[in-house]
Amino acid sequence: MEKRLLLCDDEIHILRAAEFKLKRAGYSVRIAGDGEEGWEMIQEELPDLVVTDCQMPRLDGLGLIARAREHEATRELPFFMLTAKGLELSHAELAEKLKVLGVISKPFSPRDLLRSIDEVLKPAGASS
Amino acid sequence: MRSVCGSIIVPISALVLASGSAVAWLVELFFVPASFMVGVAGFALAALAASMVAVYAAAKVRRLREAFKHYLDNLSQSDMHDLDTSDTPMPRQLEQSSWRQIAVGLQETLAEMRNRVRELETSRSAVEIRSRRAVDEAERLRAILANLGDPVLVINGYDEVSLANPAAESLFSFDLEHTEQRAVANLVKCERLVDLLLTTNHRETSGRRTDELEISDDEGNSHWFRTTACRLPLFSEGDLEQDQEGEGTVVVFRDVDREKNLQKRNAEFVSSVSHEMKTPLAGIKAYVELLADGEAEDEETREEFLGVIDSQADRLQRLVENLLNLARIEAGVVSVNKNNRSLNEVLEEASQVVQPAADAKGITLTVDLSPLYLGVHADRDMLLQSAINLLSNAVKYTQEGGQVTLRSRNADNMIVYEVEDTGVGLSEEDSQRVFDKFYRVKKDKNMAQGTGLGLPLAKHIVEDVHGGTLSLESELGVGSKFTATLPMAAQMS
Repeated sequence: MEKRLLLCDDEIHILRAAEFKLKRAGYSVRIAGDGEEGWEMIQEELPDLVVTDCQMPRLDGLGLIARAREHEATRELPFFMLTAKGLELSHAELAEKLKVLGVISKPFSPRDLLRSIDEVLKPAGASS
Repeated sequence: MRSVCGSIIVPISALVLASGSAVAWLVELFFVPASFMVGVAGFALAALAASMVAVYAAAKVRRLREAFKHYLDNLSQSDMHDLDTSDTPMPRQLEQSSWRQIAVGLQETLAEMRNRVRELETSRSAVEIRSRRAVDEAERLRAILANLGDPVLVINGYDEVSLANPAAESLFSFDLEHTEQRAVANLVKCERLVDLLLTTNHRETSGRRTDELEISDDEGNSHWFRTTACRLPLFSEGDLEQDQEGEGTVVVFRDVDREKNLQKRNAEFVSSVSHEMKTPLAGIKAYVELLADGEAEDEETREEFLGVIDSQADRLQRLVENLLNLARIEAGVVSVNKNNRSLNEVLEEASQVVQPAADAKGITLTVDLSPLYLGVHADRDMLLQSAINLLSNAVKYTQEGGQVTLRSRNADNMIVYEVEDTGVGLSEEDSQRVFDKFYRVKKDKNMAQGTGLGLPLAKHIVEDVHGGTLSLESELGVGSKFTATLPMAAQMS
């Protein structure tokens, strides 16, 4: 069964590039333009992993993750953060408090993004 | 003194002689009666001679005494500051008498005393001058301290506040003159500062210690200060108590609120610019990689990817231009190319640039331009930039389905263009700061990305480059209207 991914970003071209790469790698990908829309999609259908931007209208990435951690169903949902923010984000704090798996900095490589997701969802030796 | 004794001895000798003669006469009276007349005559002569000598001597002594007194009077009446007492003439009698030595001695003693008096007077004047100067200096320092905007605080060896200028009293909200409990820990409500003061005060070595502290005033507003604490040297040696009073620590505060805010705003600006630059770069890099990896299998997809790269490169270029233009205008090094041109043409072009962004949010962009030719003497690119920035700002901060209207008109011989939206609007505080460079409305930050440069740049272009005005009317939750007023072209030529 295809693993389901959710991508949240307010920059449509970023979403499209990541979506294109991940879909071609065999993932089922859905996209959301901001945190609120992303949360609605999570509730509709729980993805296996979420990649979210940090700065977005309505609900930002940190708000989305914090909200997910408050709910039983999404408490352990894996998140990657894809952001253009630099040192103002404490990666250690993100990992500790919000259990974010990793922070991928923009400009990003779709290839590296795919590799990071594969490492979580398709661990070596596991059958997909 | 010797001459006085001599003067007295003469009449006494005469009397002794006369007494001797009288005794001789009495002896002869009893034993040699025939010589009686001779004895009487001798006695009389001797008495007369003795009396004459005595009278003469007494007169001489009196004259000398008077001359001496007169001389003393002259000396005492001479100028007190005249050290050369030899100017006072000595009477001839005195000069020739044995009293001369006494007079000369007195003269010299008087000169010496006057010299000492003069030295004392000079010394006293110097002390008075020094004392007056010290008082003046102290007053001057007190006035300087009182008028110093920077707070200054001094603590003594007992860790009590011994001096605080009005700025320090105001910062820590106390009135030292009317405060009995002066322990620094009681008066200064900043633990870190108290630590700094006490540590400095009890250190063996001198030297400055600096720190940056955040101190809250009575109203709860915090201010940043750079503090420099320094041990005061002991100026005079005294007993232990005096030492404790005299020594201590002085701390001077420098308000660095502005620097801190500037640092913060610069950091925010750098972060914002970096974020804004990284976003289009992310698009370019991602699509270039997809193309390089051969992910785009058909021509249509390749075209699409190249189109995204192109548009993101344009976006990056616009951002860099905005930054450069603002920097150039602020530095006054921008080259302005003004010509008479139609404002409506420039506004039409601006609306076309912003239209795609409005469409993406379902915002209705209405262009309501004057049918008249509105001539302005302007730099086309800059004017276009200002209109794009205002329209782009309106689209960014208007919710989906909202309205943005661009108007132009002629009003009171001025050319006006307006950008009105039905967006989120601004509070009064935000309205006042929205033209500040890098300022972004906190609550709307997540609504759209931006550097906080668009509106300040538009204001610079309209006002500084074209001599117009750019004003704002806004109501929170209702919308905003930016009005740019420019001089007519005819007035400029």
